[in-house]
Amino acid sequence: MPLETESTLRIRSIIKDFKPNNGDLLAALYAVQHEMGYLSKEALAVIADQFKMFTAEVYGMASFYEEYRFDPPAKTTIRWCSGPACRTRNSAGIRDAILATLDLNETGEQTEDGQCSVVVGQCNGTCELAPMIWVEEHKTYELPVGKLTAAKSIKLARGLRSGSGIGEILNG
Amino acid sequence: MVEISINGKTVDAEPGRRLVEVIKEQGITITNLCYIDGLEPYAGCRTCIVDIEGGRPSSLQLSCTAQITEGQVVRTDTTEVKQARQSVMSVILANHPDRCLTCHRRVHCMPGDICLRDDVVTHRCLTCSKNYRCELQTSCENVDQGDFSEPWVGEKRSYYETPPPEPDRANPFLEFDPQMCIICARCVRACDELRHTGALSLAGKGHTTMIAFGAGGQIHESDCDFCGACIDVCPTATLMEKPNKWNGRADDWTSAVCNSCSVGCTITYGTSDQVGSENIPVIVRPERINPVSQDQICVRGRFGYDAIGPEDRLTTSLERQNDRLVPRSLFDATNLAVEQLRTVIDSHGAQTIGLLGSPLATTEEAMALSALADSIGTPNIDFSHGVIHRSVLSSLDQALGTNKLSADLTDIEKSARLVVIATDLEESHPGVSLRIKGAARKNQAKVVLISPRWSELDRFACSVLRCYPGTEANVADSLGKLETNPPLGISTEQWNAALTIVGSNEEFSDEITSVVFAPNAIDAEMASGLASAACNLAIGMVGNTTAEHLFYLPVDGNTHGVHDAGIFPKTDGKAFREIILGAISGSIKGLIIHDDNPILNSPDTDMIISALSNLESLVVIDSVKSTLSDYATVMLSEAAFYHRSGSITTADRRVLLHNSIDSGVEKEKSGIEIIKRIGAGLGFDFDRVFSYSALAEYPSEEALVQQQGRLRAIPDQAVFKAEVQEIDVPMRRVDDLAVFTSRSLYTSWDGASSASEEADKLDREGTAWVNPGDAQEAGVTQGVAVTLQNGSHSITMKIKLDDGVAAGTVYVPSYYRGGAIMSLFALEGLTGGLPSVKLVAADA
Ligand code: SF4
Ligand code: SF4
Ligand code: SF4
Ligand code: SF4
Ligand code: FES
Ligand code: FES
Repeated sequence: MPLETESTLRIRSIIKDFKPNNGDLLAALYAVQHEMGYLSKEALAVIADQFKMFTAEVYGMASFYEEYRFDPPAKTTIRWCSGPACRTRNSAGIRDAILATLDLNETGEQTEDGQCSVVVGQCNGTCELAPMIWVEEHKTYELPVGKLTAAKSIKLARGLRSGSGIGEILNG
Repeated sequence: MVEISINGKTVDAEPGRRLVEVIKEQGITITNLCYIDGLEPYAGCRTCIVDIEGGRPSSLQLSCTAQITEGQVVRTDTTEVKQARQSVMSVILANHPDRCLTCHRRVHCMPGDICLRDDVVTHRCLTCSKNYRCELQTSCENVDQGDFSEPWVGEKRSYYETPPPEPDRANPFLEFDPQMCIICARCVRACDELRHTGALSLAGKGHTTMIAFGAGGQIHESDCDFCGACIDVCPTATLMEKPNKWNGRADDWTSAVCNSCSVGCTITYGTSDQVGSENIPVIVRPERINPVSQDQICVRGRFGYDAIGPEDRLTTSLERQNDRLVPRSLFDATNLAVEQLRTVIDSHGAQTIGLLGSPLATTEEAMALSALADSIGTPNIDFSHGVIHRSVLSSLDQALGTNKLSADLTDIEKSARLVVIATDLEESHPGVSLRIKGAARKNQAKVVLISPRWSELDRFACSVLRCYPGTEANVADSLGKLETNPPLGISTEQWNAALTIVGSNEEFSDEITSVVFAPNAIDAEMASGLASAACNLAIGMVGNTTAEHLFYLPVDGNTHGVHDAGIFPKTDGKAFREIILGAISGSIKGLIIHDDNPILNSPDTDMIISALSNLESLVVIDSVKSTLSDYATVMLSEAAFYHRSGSITTADRRVLLHNSIDSGVEKEKSGIEIIKRIGAGLGFDFDRVFSYSALAEYPSEEALVQQQGRLRAIPDQAVFKAEVQEIDVPMRRVDDLAVFTSRSLYTSWDGASSASEEADKLDREGTAWVNPGDAQEAGVTQGVAVTLQNGSHSITMKIKLDDGVAAGTVYVPSYYRGGAIMSLFALEGLTGGLPSVKLVAADA
């Protein structure tokens, strides 16, 4: 049985309004990820307990969706738009430039020091900014950065990797 | 029954049944890679395609989803069906190493040979642990997959192109190698629907779907309790038993019984003709003889045969010479034992001999031991837990007029209302715990749990009455009396929920109600109080049919059998405790112990040891080099349990046959032969056959062989007496922290009795459970070592902080370090039954 600790109590309080057999599971998973940044093993067990499900069931379900993460996110996440408008404006080149700058092989990975990760994003209609990315820091800010060029994206990635703030990079 | 036609043959079948099962019963080979007999079809693999006349939209239908209807015309053998299956199979093989599966040469190839098809060595059936016992392999043969044109030839293939996923080999029981997985999801469904454990799931989506354990981590971090039900259903080499992964191909099977608890699951030992594995089981699988266990066993049943290494087995007999044990042949050692016993009898009288039997022995061995005591002329015979068992029996007798309850454990899963009183049934009696979970999940049974500690059953219960250890009887009694106020320390909400269930006799009048209790193994007063309270509670719910609805689960395997066989003190004889006191005072000089180990089983280790050290002769007959070897004067090496035959009487008094895998070599080392030879050596007539059929109410041998698993040693006439008893055990609390204990799941008797380093291979149980509040007060934190101090006695071990034990209590598994916790308990009985300890941080 999971021992109640500060962190399990915190998870319990995040999901206290969700009920079993009520179609609430996805929302509960989302709420926990939103608060904690990811779904830890502990969180999955607490959620399972609340929903009277097996932990494995909850994990099996959550792992179906790209949206859920099971590892702590990097400090800064670069969400790269994979949409068609960006694509026609060389988003693939932007992605490769960012990955190369960060020493990553593919999207979904994060730098060894946990500073930056690159994930695939979906178009949200701000195509006038194409090619674009969103730069996010969990629960701090989420910023669209558009009209990118290879040079601009390399500079941005380098800055983030070295730990500079996003404001500094964009204005500097 | 309706008539259908399969391949032109008329067959009678029950309407509504799954067609695939009926086809298999007809002896027709059919592939069905995702169907599990008896469970709802999953319809994931599509390999069970058959032709059903008039089927829509096409006559090609899945036989696992199709149900029997009058006049069905089924064909499994048309070209169209075969081709359909081949093409389905080819899709499955796209994610599996398949070169051998489609190669006509496989039967001629050996693992070292060069592959004519240029296959990578490690990608072949020939080098796979499941070769020649693999369902996927036979399925491919059945559909002649080698004849199928391979649409992928020359293409990039997913199996050969993708890097294999990581295997999990981190635990001692279950190996998981997902590169062999065909995502049939049988394991997921077995764990969920057959075990109610839900340790695994299908994770991810699309072609990257994988089997995952728990929250996506390693197996031992998940809820898995290593029962191996998933291994039994896995059609490939993905899930395999670790100890026998590479040598588990059996040539022969032998029906047997697991004696690791009183459920008595029936198992079958697989044996192999391979050099090096003669005469030991290479694998254990469940066998559907006992209708209680059906096709399920727990980790102890499956891996018990392999619990200890050869170094902990007693493979040669030993003689004590001062403080050394010297190897002797069994013949010489037996003669020596006889000599020693004769000396004791001649110089001090037969009454100074004591005998201890064991519920781990067969009934026949117990009969022989009892006959030996009679021949010697000593009434002093018992087993360590004897007094516990007898005190329960006498409570039952008083309340119900019989102790041979007719309640049948197959009723548990059919029950709609259950009250369970136990410390942790999931660990002590896994087979019954499984059926209780089944009742809760399949039958929506209302379960009330009275228990001092969290267990897996908690989540299946509607009401959990977490009581102070030792007060189970009081709580059960108050519940039976429907007292409005909860006993001290019990949550009002849970109490009210329990009252609603126990008090609704009307509502449950057409359904089965069951009361299950598993007494502790240490304190007889507590056990008998619990038995009376359980009777009272049951009487309140089911009146004078109590004997049909009340279940007593003794601690060890064959407790009923050995008691029936006569392992109890005869007139004026000494019981276990008196034998020990007698050894200390000098009125017992010689002791014969068969399979029992008081150092592990009995309270008060100090007293036990001084008793054993004081004996003139201690003759131990055992198959493991138990901790008794420090005190024995002679150790007679007995054959392992799997090398012995006999019968076992389970908790619900079912008589089951246990067969030896041995072809004769070990026969003379069987317990019964050794006991007989001691008897003959002492000059008694022991040239006779011991059989359960001689015991009152036991079935005849003929009847039992015909109706294996169904016959029970109970009176013919139903007993309808039910008298409520006064429960006079006061509610007691100890001053400091109360220590309580019970049997744990992963530690085998053999391992614990020999205090083997390997006893708890999984290392899940080497901790004391301490309530976080108590830990804080004592200033100790998670994972540190603490000393549990009780006067001059103490034990030091790591702690685990857990809300699952009530404040003021500490739980330690009884098999931890060869029964180390027993030193804190007293043989004389303790007030309240439990030792009181202080928690002291151990010096680093
Ligand atoms: S799992 Fe079966 S089919 Fe697959 S390689 Fe092993 S033996 Fe062959
Ligand atoms: S061993 Fe038993 S508990 Fe573990 S995953 Fe397999 S079926 Fe489930
Ligand atoms: S592990 Fe075995 S039973 Fe489970 S999905 Fe894979 S092949 Fe099927
Ligand atoms: S439930 Fe008991 S009898 Fe059955 S396999 Fe487990 S230990 Fe053996
Ligand atoms: S396609 Fe990138 S923002 Fe729409
Ligand atoms: S057995 Fe019928 S679809 Fe798998």
